[in-house]
Amino acid sequence: MDILGVMNIGSSALRAQTIRLNTISSNLANIETTRTPEGGPYRKKSAVFTTASTSFEAHLEQGRPQTAQGVNVQYIRTDNGPGKMVYDPSHPDSDENGYVEKPNINLAEEMTDMMRARGSYEANVTAIKSAQRMAMKALEIGR
Amino acid sequence: MADFVTPAGGDPAPIASTPGVQETRRPGIGETFENLLNETASNLSEADQLSRESAAGGPVDLHDVMIAMEKADISLRLLVQVRNKALDAYQEIMRMQV
Repeated sequence: MDILGVMNIGSSALRAQTIRLNTISSNLANIETTRTPEGGPYRKKSAVFTTASTSFEAHLEQGRPQTAQGVNVQYIRTDNGPGKMVYDPSHPDSDENGYVEKPNINLAEEMTDMMRARGSYEANVTAIKSAQRMAMKALEIGR
Repeated sequence: MADFVTPAGGDPAPIASTPGVQETRRPGIGETFENLLNETASNLSEADQLSRESAAGGPVDLHDVMIAMEKADISLRLLVQVRNKALDAYQEIMRMQV
């Protein structure tokens, strides 16, 4: 049923936005982290999205390329840009000049990204809800 | 269950099949209904399993549980409507004066 297809696409988008929110909360949690297993300060992470490739069976069933596609998170990108240098000679991770490299995370940027993730999540929930409402309306024909 | 509406007098005899024309067997209403029933049952059990896992604190996304339940709900309602229609048609035929 195609209505259920809408739900599958919406579900993939909800999952993708959840992962995005995960990376944002990781960035916010580590905004002051100066030590990581890889060495150096924490680096900003962000999710990279890609269209979900439709399965071979779906192509066979439809007999035509499917135009509606879901979304997947392809990978989590690490931003290797330079971090903020803060003068703090008493910090254990300060260099010989007394500067500490803080993570390259901008709080305002993370907050706006978070709002966009939430907005996108809500939009997809609305799409799923209207698919559900349409299905219910179609079932009312029989009554 | 599957044969709750069987064609009167069993399977209709094939009408003098013309040579060269491929004969395709069309599924009866019972078979179609059974497929729908199986699909609904699998949707219901999926929703059941997901809500169980989520209640047990498993790594299940909340929206997946809700969507699975919604799908199960829609397919159950569809099943009930199809059953009502089939039963109505059956009773209509049974009421027919011969």
